[in-house]
Amino acid sequence: MKFAIALFAPPHAPSSRRALRFAEAVLAGGHQIVRLFFYQDAVHIASSLPVSAQDELDLPAAWRSFVTEHNLDGVVCIAAALRRGVLNGEEAQRYARASHNLEAPWELSGLGQLHEAAQDADRLICFGGD
Amino acid sequence: MAKSLLLICRRSPWSGPGAREALDIALAGGAFDLPISLLFLDDGVFQLQPRQQPAAIQQKDLTANLQALPLFGVEALYVARTDLDRRGLSAEHLTLPVTPLEDAALAALLNQHDLVITL
Amino acid sequence: MATLHLLSRSPFTDTSGASCLRLLGPGDGLLLTGDAVHALQPESQPFEVLRALPADRPLFALAEDLDARGLSTPDFVKAVDYAGFVELTLRFERTNSWL
Repeated sequence: MKFAIALFAPPHAPSSRRALRFAEAVLAGGHQIVRLFFYQDAVHIASSLPVSAQDELDLPAAWRSFVTEHNLDGVVCIAAALRRGVLNGEEAQRYARASHNLEAPWELSGLGQLHEAAQDADRLICFGGD
Repeated sequence: MAKSLLLICRRSPWSGPGAREALDIALAGGAFDLPISLLFLDDGVFQLQPRQQPAAIQQKDLTANLQALPLFGVEALYVARTDLDRRGLSAEHLTLPVTPLEDAALAALLNQHDLVITL
Repeated sequence: MATLHLLSRSPFTDTSGASCLRLLGPGDGLLLTGDAVHALQPESQPFEVLRALPADRPLFALAEDLDARGLSTPDFVKAVDYAGFVELTLRFERTNSWL
């Protein structure tokens, strides 16, 4: 079966870790993830800047390795990301910002990508809250 | 055939970008001609309150975005009557033509849609 | 055409659980995750509400969240791991997450 997974909460929210464990279980079960979509405060998961203490789970890094290892489509909502200061090189240049914090495997795109994934998948599962 | 989406809006328009970002999902879906319905639930019913003056707290007017919904083909708009009643709002005095639903009808509304997102 | 409702917030500080129950119809399921599993604290008010739900509204809880909080699984709840979580989302037609 095909899953679309959407995240809405920041990296430190327990639901963002649950989303990762769920996504791992989807693949372990032999299913497919057509797209991961990061909206609202979940855009911070794609930032390359968070620094975790050594004995704490580094969720942004864990998400980055998961997406890279399985070659998944990790889309970050561009409007939500710009509003929260999550920019790739191109957007940083466009808005004359001194630095950027979004790199591969993440891609910035619009909400149409959420709809497209939900239409294409057999299930849309959203994660947010505590 | 395109899958239908029910968007359940629970945020007040003054609680940060949440209400607007939920609405943006509806507008984007409407722009792709997808069948989208909206249900205003809990504090989401405050989005329909008349006489809002968002400029008083340097915010944009969400009412304008809501009124754009029909232009994007999003015309199935519902509100939970219980939540209006609890907040002293009247279904006759809202900024949009919405259909009030009793609690008993809400589960059926969900189950009429292929997808649901609650924000 | 049933819905799986996914809760994650504590019933003692947030209204999402109460609103969810208003939308829970026959055949719909409820999966408690995160702080929503505090609803399974024995003798609490939400515990009694959930225990009184009709049998055609199956209740589930994420095992790791029960374990983390030292809660045991009541007999009216089925604890699931992540594989069980994925299976539940396929058993129901759609999943509604209360963010």
